[in-house]
Amino acid sequence: MSEAPGAPPRGPRVILEEGGAPPRAAAPPPRGAEGPPAPRLDFGWERTVAPAAVARLRPGTAWSTLGLLGAGAGVLVLGLSALEAANFVAAQFARATWLGVLTLGVAGAGYGLIGAALWREVRGLAGLRSVDRARAAFARGDHATAREEALRWAAEVPAAQSVLPALRGCNDPDSLRAILEAGPLAALEAQAQALGRAAALQAFAVTAVSPSAALDALIFAWRGVRLVRQVAALHGLRPGVAGTAALLRRTLFDAATVAATDVAVDAAARALLTNPLLEKFAGEAAAGAVAARRMLRLARAASEACRIVPPR
Amino acid sequence: MPAPDPLGFLRDALAGAEDAALALLGQERVRLAVTGLSRAGKTVFLTSLVANLLAAGAGLRTLPALEAASGGRLRRARVLPAGVEAVPRFDPQAHLAALAADPPRWPARTEDLSTLALTLELDRRSWFGGFLGARSVTLELLDYPGEWLLDLPMLRQSYAEWSAATLARLRRGSRAAAFAPFLEFVDALPEGAPAEDPLSRRGFALYRDGLRAARDGHGLRLLQPGRFLNPGPRGEAPLMWFFPLPRPGGGGLAELCARRYDAYLADQRAAFFEPFFRRFDRQAVLVDVLAALHQGQEAFDDTAEALAEIAAALRYGGSWLDRLTGQGVRRVALVATKADHVPARQREALAALLEDLTAAPRERALAAGAETGVHALAAIRCTEDDVATLEGRPVGAVRGVLLESGRSAKVYPGEVPMRRPGPEFWRHGRMFEMPAFRPPRLDPHGAAGVPHLGLDTLLAWLIGDLL
Repeated sequence: MSEAPGAPPRGPRVILEEGGAPPRAAAPPPRGAEGPPAPRLDFGWERTVAPAAVARLRPGTAWSTLGLLGAGAGVLVLGLSALEAANFVAAQFARATWLGVLTLGVAGAGYGLIGAALWREVRGLAGLRSVDRARAAFARGDHATAREEALRWAAEVPAAQSVLPALRGCNDPDSLRAILEAGPLAALEAQAQALGRAAALQAFAVTAVSPSAALDALIFAWRGVRLVRQVAALHGLRPGVAGTAALLRRTLFDAATVAATDVAVDAAARALLTNPLLEKFAGEAAAGAVAARRMLRLARAASEACRIVPPR
Repeated sequence: MPAPDPLGFLRDALAGAEDAALALLGQERVRLAVTGLSRAGKTVFLTSLVANLLAAGAGLRTLPALEAASGGRLRRARVLPAGVEAVPRFDPQAHLAALAADPPRWPARTEDLSTLALTLELDRRSWFGGFLGARSVTLELLDYPGEWLLDLPMLRQSYAEWSAATLARLRRGSRAAAFAPFLEFVDALPEGAPAEDPLSRRGFALYRDGLRAARDGHGLRLLQPGRFLNPGPRGEAPLMWFFPLPRPGGGGLAELCARRYDAYLADQRAAFFEPFFRRFDRQAVLVDVLAALHQGQEAFDDTAEALAEIAAALRYGGSWLDRLTGQGVRRVALVATKADHVPARQREALAALLEDLTAAPRERALAAGAETGVHALAAIRCTEDDVATLEGRPVGAVRGVLLESGRSAKVYPGEVPMRRPGPEFWRHGRMFEMPAFRPPRLDPHGAAGVPHLGLDTLLAWLIGDLL
């Protein structure tokens, strides 16, 4: 076929170049290898993708519809009630000064308590956020943020204060992680397990003697929430209501993965205890053993959820 | 033809309910089907996808377009630990180690199914949601022999329909030469040939040899049944001893072949399509368009026909039952792979050619409510752009290191047309086989991902809205 003048040749070709190695082949020889490595192209990929090369995008956050609704309702309830209270205080002052002072005191105390509760909630949630920031920094190898968060955390947690100087001297996230895991986190883990064993003992005892399954569930739920809050406190978190709910959600999803195992253990325990004479007490004891196992698992899952270092 | 599964709706409804419950808990699950004909690069694609997602989860900018699509919310990516699955596990580390080894090895032809799931942990979109902790999206991935995909259109055909269509195809073009001994055998069979195993085994062996010759010698793709070419770990079983017959409606051998055809499809449905192909949410269809173009007009047209057949057989979630159960594919990406085999200015042409080639299947997917997109990518980039001088003229070329000799070579891949080429395009008449290039320098552990072209754009389009 004749090609048009100026048109590129249509058929594909391979053109071998002189010499074996390409100009950009720069693979270093592997340690202990004999002879030079096979030539390859080197795109400098590690440098191109390094996190420091380009600033990471800041995650964008937005208000969800539910968030907007909740915030609006909160502003209306608190704002309007505050205005109403202010009007009422002014009216009381108009009646008599002593009555105004008294009303102001009552309103101030009431709003002060509400404010304190809100502050506690915000602090609890901020603590969880801080844990999230630290874990994200460790996961992506961001040393500066990980170090800053680890130092702030260690200053607040009694079990970690002894490693503060060592943390200050760390130059990379791996050594930060190693010090935290070998020292304070291992100690906190052991304390969480001790709390879990105490809770398990109580759950076992209560389940074995309680008269109804509904009461078992109620007691288990109450003891579980308390256990999660105790473990969170070990890790320097003081979650309020919203913080506890957030922590429970994180903990329970993890703990739920063992539910299937628990069912099998439950069935096996009940199957072993088939003696009719023992059935009544032993059957309940088997249920209690499963509840105790769950409590131990809950302590471990809560501890995992509160760690400032992500699991490996 | 095997009967459709009567409990399918119930199973779909249960799966839909499970997905909805997980999404409510912030634990979404997305099944990403990476489909493609054999040698389209599925295994390399999955290896690169896993390595680059894991590296992106560790904070490296391996997938900038996906990072932008997710608003920088990706916090971590990890491989989901193995459970009690009976299916082999896809091993990206082994593939990476082989690619980084000296000498390097590209993955061999996939012989069996394997699966892997990745969990992406993401920050929540809303400020309040942030207090609930990270959201996670689980990507379920599947690798399988590409030849098996061509059994999918057979599920809608009876043995008689399949026989007629296949024999008509075998008598055309270069297939006639590849299948000459088989065609001679079936044409010589008397009407009412007895149902004897020596006959059926002989016919099967001749037909299988024809399929192999058509694939390896002529670059043809529309070759059915898939397990004849790639029997997988179970090997060749008696249910495979069938082949197309000119008179498929009679008794004896024809009846035996029809029974085995139904049994074969039932087995493929139960072992492959039902558990793995029935439910997925996003789909990438990989096509080596350049290789089809280089193998001549017949191979090119055959690839287009195979793609159309597969696309027609896929399930796009457009029916009211699918909408009710929340099943079906929402996005389908058609992907021209090995885009590093052409210089940058020709990559758009590669994508445009695939777009033109798949116009009909894309329309069908769109009509069913699935979005479609066309992309060109190289899962592992092995070349860089260069200029070669041919016949005294500078032409755009790619340069890489040849796999076998280790020599540096420039390759001029020819002009890639933007539309299905006319007869004049094929007149130069030369078939060309793109040489295999060495992978670039890689970290055997893949900690920094692997160099690619366009993988991030594809993932941003395919799953960006979920992140």
